[in-house]
Amino acid sequence: MAKVFIYPVTSLILSDLVARFGHKPLSAAMQIRERIQTAGLESPPLQVTPEDPKKGLKYAAVEVPSGVRGRMALFGPMVEDADAAIVVNDADFSFGCMGCARTNELLAFLIRTRGIPVLDLVYPRTEEEGIEFVAAIRDFLAGLEGK
Amino acid sequence: MAEYKPRYVGTVTKYVFVDSPDMTPSDLALRAYEISLGVMIKETCFGLQITGKESEVDEIINRLRSLDPVHIFVKDRGFPPGDPRRCRANLGGARPGYYGHEYELTLIKNVSKGLEKLPSRPPGAVPEPPVPKTEKKLDVHTLKKIIESQES
Amino acid sequence: MTTKVRIAQLSCGPEYSGVQKEIEEAAGAVDAEIFFPDLKLSDIQRDNALFGLDVRSPDLKLSIARARALVDGRVEADAVFIATCFRCAEAAIVRNELRRYIHENSNLPVVSYSFTERTTAGTLLTRMEALTTIARRRALLAREVQEGITMGVDSGSSTTKAVVMQDNRIVGTGWLPTTEVLKSAEQVIELALQESGISRDQIQAIGTTGYGRFLVGQHIGADLIQEELTVNSKGAVYLADAQHGPSTVIDIGGMDNKAISVQDGIPGTFTMGGICAGASGRFLEMTAKRLGVDITELGPLAMKGMSREVPMNSYCIVFGTQSLVNALAAGSSREDVAAAACHSVAEQVFEQQLQEVDIKDPVIMVGGTSLIKGLVRAMGDLLQTEIVVPHHSQYIGAVGSALLASGYIKGE
Repeated sequence: MAKVFIYPVTSLILSDLVARFGHKPLSAAMQIRERIQTAGLESPPLQVTPEDPKKGLKYAAVEVPSGVRGRMALFGPMVEDADAAIVVNDADFSFGCMGCARTNELLAFLIRTRGIPVLDLVYPRTEEEGIEFVAAIRDFLAGLEGK
Repeated sequence: MAEYKPRYVGTVTKYVFVDSPDMTPSDLALRAYEISLGVMIKETCFGLQITGKESEVDEIINRLRSLDPVHIFVKDRGFPPGDPRRCRANLGGARPGYYGHEYELTLIKNVSKGLEKLPSRPPGAVPEPPVPKTEKKLDVHTLKKIIESQES
Repeated sequence: MTTKVRIAQLSCGPEYSGVQKEIEEAAGAVDAEIFFPDLKLSDIQRDNALFGLDVRSPDLKLSIARARALVDGRVEADAVFIATCFRCAEAAIVRNELRRYIHENSNLPVVSYSFTERTTAGTLLTRMEALTTIARRRALLAREVQEGITMGVDSGSSTTKAVVMQDNRIVGTGWLPTTEVLKSAEQVIELALQESGISRDQIQAIGTTGYGRFLVGQHIGADLIQEELTVNSKGAVYLADAQHGPSTVIDIGGMDNKAISVQDGIPGTFTMGGICAGASGRFLEMTAKRLGVDITELGPLAMKGMSREVPMNSYCIVFGTQSLVNALAAGSSREDVAAAACHSVAEQVFEQQLQEVDIKDPVIMVGGTSLIKGLVRAMGDLLQTEIVVPHHSQYIGAVGSALLASGYIKGE
């Protein structure tokens, strides 16, 4: 079972398909869950504390906005931990954890620099594209066996 | 800053979305309650949230998926159900991630179709999906010729 | 119990910077609550197309759609708080455009803020208090005439001021540098009472403002304890006789600066900055000290000088002082150095804050620094307008407090 980073990190479709084909999706929820279930300083809503943007300095310098660094502190470690990644590139209105375009650009770059297998896709607009989309993910994941 | 004491430590919460002609979210909920194994199940407008030990949650989800495999979709959730930090009633509006779901749900029928049709296609018969577009633009010399031909 | 003031939050980043809790705490402290306007995905798509600012960040798209929902009245709110990450260019464009859009198309008071992970509830408190005051106390702020005998005390970071007013006239004033907050307040009250010939028990109502407003207010039993954004706006338009229509109030204080866009005496949008001490009255104090003149002589000195003769960058009080020392060592005249210091402060306020409010005439400068003529001239040059400095402008907070406090004379 490979650990597959999904982008958008909140994607239901990618999360489902990765798990459905027997692999472990690395999604935003898992990072949030870890924070929500760990005792510490109270910092609702996400239990992201002002310490997180400081941890994010590992990924972006201090002149980069705190929101970028805070998000990178959540997602950067997942990219480092991933065996592969599936990237959907046209998620225009994917809010929440993917709300900042600069973070998303940096994250996409970080995935490339890791040198792990990456599958690039766009969302399927038609039923035929849906078949191609699912097939591509299935075949990509099958190629990860034995990792 | 106040000390934070987490609840539901050691549990997972998963969303179960259903988008099916044959099954409504409340049908799904009824079936889930029957096999609930004592875990927490919360009905929502799109399906369910199931909270409990990971193995138990996965067991229920596997059984639910078998009811309508291509129309049931699952993902992890960071918060337990009804958490005031993420509850619509407290925020005055949807949490930001909701719009991401709303967006993907407009496309999910295509994924369902893919899951449904794919097994019957022979191996190698499915073309590669459209990758992010890198269509070539008209080269500048051709453009110049077009402009000149229009002007003459 | 009063109903909570509902503040709509339009933001990108606070949850991931660990400061969302600080925003909510600041709102809670002034009996307000933060909420997020509810929308559908289709609203977001449509409203972004209609607004026409094509940004990439989804959370900024969401903010744009939420702003449109507020302006259209599809979502009700009492006030708006716009917050985005400090140093994000994309967000800064959205923040400014939304603030302007809401200000021009609705009556909702707006404040915008760019935060870092170090932002605390304390920093946000004055801004939140001003927002809720404007939303909750429109009737109080509508007061245009001072009645009876009232007193106002402004406990500022550098100086403490008091005025006694009677029947719409200032009859006594007191002014001292702030040392011990309560002691300074007692002393200026004594001075103001002496000058007015009025005894303490004749005072019918008291208002306090400034950094020490809570401490002083509790100590002397004030009827009204109010932040300086609304009080100073009110005081400024009252003294400048500009209570109706638009105006702009600039107050360069000892520790922070305020730029307020006012309509009919009520602040619409405002910024309160203290990016660095280089843009504050404190820098001018240091300049005066280095030039060996009293702060009151700095203005006239500057009026005789030419600011462009001396390069000066006061983005930081240390570097600003360095430029000053260097210029003097290189033989620049004290007049030119004084003028350059005034220009430098005015320029920084202009660049950092006045871009965030809509400048409409009359532009009224208030606070102790408004007495430094060279600074007022420099600001006027930058804004290309005649700046109004009303009488008693250094007592602005105290006058505003005394004026508003007359709403608390018993029976009202």
